[in-house]
Amino acid sequence: MKLVAGNIFGFWMFLVVAIFTLVLINYSKSGKINITLRKIAGLEAIEESIGRATEMGKPIHFSPGLGDIIGATAAETFAALEVLSYVTRMSAKYNAELVVTIRQPNVFPLAQESVKQQYMAAGKSDMFKEDTVRFLSNQQVAYTTGVVGFMHREKVAANIMAGLYMGEALLLAEAGAQIGAIQVAITASMTQLPFFVAACDYTIIGEELFAAGAYLSQDRIKLGGIAAQDYIKLAVMATAVAGALLMSSGSNFLNRLLVK
Amino acid sequence: MRKEVPLVITFVVAIIVMLSAITTGPIPGTSIAISDLFRQHISPWMTIVSAFAVGLASVNLLRVHTRAIARKRNDWIYSVILIVTLAIYAGFRTYVELNLSNATAAANYALIFNNILTPLSAAMWALLAFYVASASYRAFRARSAEATVLLISAIVVMLGAAPVGALIWSRFPDVQRWLLEVPNMTGQRGILIGAAIGGFVTSLRVLLGMERGHLGSAD
Repeated sequence: MKLVAGNIFGFWMFLVVAIFTLVLINYSKSGKINITLRKIAGLEAIEESIGRATEMGKPIHFSPGLGDIIGATAAETFAALEVLSYVTRMSAKYNAELVVTIRQPNVFPLAQESVKQQYMAAGKSDMFKEDTVRFLSNQQVAYTTGVVGFMHREKVAANIMAGLYMGEALLLAEAGAQIGAIQVAITASMTQLPFFVAACDYTIIGEELFAAGAYLSQDRIKLGGIAAQDYIKLAVMATAVAGALLMSSGSNFLNRLLVK
Repeated sequence: MRKEVPLVITFVVAIIVMLSAITTGPIPGTSIAISDLFRQHISPWMTIVSAFAVGLASVNLLRVHTRAIARKRNDWIYSVILIVTLAIYAGFRTYVELNLSNATAAANYALIFNNILTPLSAAMWALLAFYVASASYRAFRARSAEATVLLISAIVVMLGAAPVGALIWSRFPDVQRWLLEVPNMTGQRGILIGAAIGGFVTSLRVLLGMERGHLGSAD
């Protein structure tokens, strides 16, 4: 068994970065390093929006996006499910009705179990109903139509969208804006960011989606992962600068190394 | 055990899937390659699990809507339409699958899709044209320094892309290109690199069972 050409450097980098991340996670877990995250207004606004929903007696809508738990979009969906855990805990705390709409059948059992467990942990099992987590359709347009219709019918007070979004992003965000819901969008989908920025009250972009779980739970293991992310980013920036300097001086050493 | 078993399965399967994409040749001491292991054992299981997930999700859909009909909730008539459509479509598809030689049935099945779902989808996407205008109006209101920069950039990009822009000032297309290729691309790549690293670390935490939100645990 051997590595396929083109993946050699990537594989060894994966190992180095994974070991480095695990070391930082262990340091954080054992309290050897203290990690504090900067304030992210959008994540702070989630609790506020749920409090508002309670005052208005209207439901909160949560969507974990259109991504699946298989393939390149899985990380975004898992990060969205972390946010869902927090939203459910807040919904239990404020006794606000939560409705989660699902597009991917694979995500449905995970979301359902997550919401059920969080309500049980909060001692509010009765808040979990059969229609708290709803599968709408795995067709993109049908799912979008279902969500837009639900938001207009129920006049939701808060609309929280986390995860992967595609062309339907603006349709969902505009529907929320039309009914005056507080909207928080959390996504790493580059092409949809401008639409969310234009139509939502708070937009959390890029890597902040993956930091959301750590930020909301303040869990030391997750905080260690965030610290590792920052150091890896610094290393990537240094590599980019070194690559630019080397290429400018006529050496393609780094280029050859990266494609090995 | 309820959480440990899924975590062990996740770890083993993720390692196999990852290695199957980047390695070649048999696993030491065996005659089977990891890619074959993936193709023969993991891939069919993915299909089976996904099929069960579709079944679970469909049951949820039916239960939510039958309850809406039973309780005569607002707009319950739409729930009736959904269930009837679901039944007709499922029945029709089953008939087509059991009678593959019947070309007329297959053509009629496609007819429903092409003449009902496709126009409905097109109508939904058409709404985007109006929503882009209303969202732009809100975003471009110059209430802060950042919104003003956004407004000016948007006007320049629009003028650079529209033929009339070049007539007003011949350099508008050049300025538009610079805005898109330099400041815009720089920001986009920064966000992309950050998101990719974030995705990697999240995947690693899921792989090692440190991320358990999807299993209903906050810790």
